[in-house]
Amino acid sequence: MRRKSLMDRVRLMGRSTIDMVAVLGRSGIFLVHAFLGRGGIGGGFQLLLRQLHSVGVMSLAIIVVSGVFIGMVLALQGFSILAKYGSEQAVGQMVALTLLRELGPVVTALLFAGRAGSALTAEIGNMKSTEQLSSLEMIGVDPLKYIVAPRLWAGFISLPVLALIFSVVGIWGGSWVAVDWLGVYEGSFWANMQNSVSFSDDVLNGVIKSVVFAFVVTWIAVFQGYDCEPTSEGISRATTKTVVYASLAVLGLDFIMTALMFGDF
Amino acid sequence: MSADNAYAVELKGVSFKRGTRSIFNNVDIRIPRGKVTGIMGPSGSGKTTLLRLMGAQLRPSAGEVWVNGQNLPKLSRSDLFDARKQMGVLFQSGALFTDLDVFENVAFPLRVHTKLPEDMIRDIVLLKLQAVGLRGAVDLMPDELSGGMKRRVALARAIALDPQILMYDEPFVGQDPIAMGVLVRLIRLLNDALGITSIVVSHDLAETASIADYLYVVGDGQVLGQGTPQELMESDNPRIRQFMTGDPDGPVPFHYPAPDYRDDLLGKR
Repeated sequence: MRRKSLMDRVRLMGRSTIDMVAVLGRSGIFLVHAFLGRGGIGGGFQLLLRQLHSVGVMSLAIIVVSGVFIGMVLALQGFSILAKYGSEQAVGQMVALTLLRELGPVVTALLFAGRAGSALTAEIGNMKSTEQLSSLEMIGVDPLKYIVAPRLWAGFISLPVLALIFSVVGIWGGSWVAVDWLGVYEGSFWANMQNSVSFSDDVLNGVIKSVVFAFVVTWIAVFQGYDCEPTSEGISRATTKTVVYASLAVLGLDFIMTALMFGDF
Repeated sequence: MSADNAYAVELKGVSFKRGTRSIFNNVDIRIPRGKVTGIMGPSGSGKTTLLRLMGAQLRPSAGEVWVNGQNLPKLSRSDLFDARKQMGVLFQSGALFTDLDVFENVAFPLRVHTKLPEDMIRDIVLLKLQAVGLRGAVDLMPDELSGGMKRRVALARAIALDPQILMYDEPFVGQDPIAMGVLVRLIRLLNDALGITSIVVSHDLAETASIADYLYVVGDGQVLGQGTPQELMESDNPRIRQFMTGDPDGPVPFHYPAPDYRDDLLGKR
């Protein structure tokens, strides 16, 4: 293969940058059309309910199981570290703060991207490749309103709720390990947690994080499906992109939001 | 407004490019109102692209696409969706909604665009399915239908709202001889009974010529010829003659452009 000259590399870099800006522009216009513009079609609430079931309720199992295990692991790790300093009674507050501030929103968003995000991309991509989106357009129904908008709303609503459920079952898993198994005094476990967890600083900030993650993950997932090349290879590539881009966006945004919320600048 | 109301669809100086490749170059096509017009041409000549230009699913790089007096590429997004309510398209794959059964697929346009009572929707759906011979398949899901049946259900859905313009993308592909005969007659019957304008994109010469009032032959990014089926059969243009007779040797190459065959096999080593 011919080696690329310096100018070829510069040209390729320029082309990639232009393509990236074009994708960002398309995804912005896509979002505006999905949310704004002419009102939706009839039966919008039924469409939303169906998507809430498929995106939210169907993700419940993986979120609950993961939440329980992560809470249990946190309690185990926290106990073994805190015990060295004689502070094992503080394991409750450690589990609660870690879950509410960080792991609840972040891990839920990552799991959501892998489970619901990839499914959204594949579903919309498949509709595109089988001309179902074209068919809707020619029936006079805007697919951005009929297909995309209910899925976007379902993602925005589901993910914060799932993140809260994740934290709750995680705390329950942590209490099971710390109190019932490792013998931490139950009163200290819950009292320490109550004293140290602030609704506005911890719970609310966690919810804000999960709302932002919900917005980004769902946007990436539906846009990748809508914008994909309508072939099996194109759908497969778009699904991979959804998981990779959404995961990176979640981790990057988490750092920025944590710095703003808890950084004490 | 378009000047001439005799034409349901008018493409004026339309050019279309995919990337740098030119698919159509300054094409003029006029589809007479209330007639069956066939658009024919070899595979890969851009016939489906032409249909998508007429439905404004693709925007031309130059030229105007007038449908029922509206220049579609200039319409706003919401006006465009309104304009499309007057059109029905039968896609090549059928494009049925896979999460809905046959009944709901056909009922879909009625549910989203009308406020008809449920029993009336049921009657209309059964009437349309009866017309395509699939009333008995009303409860089946799309994945339980053959390719030909899917397209017939899609046709029932396309005519659910009694559109003014009905576009068919390769309607005869994959149909058995009985269904083919019924479909050919049905396209003609729908056109005459409902007074609609039909555009049939196909490379099935005999079937299309048997029902079309007017034919366009496209190829090489332009209109190679037009006229009644009889006129095209008698055409002196060698390109049209080759297409109408299905002759492999002629000005329209059977082979996609390629390097010399001998050099490719034996190599210029």
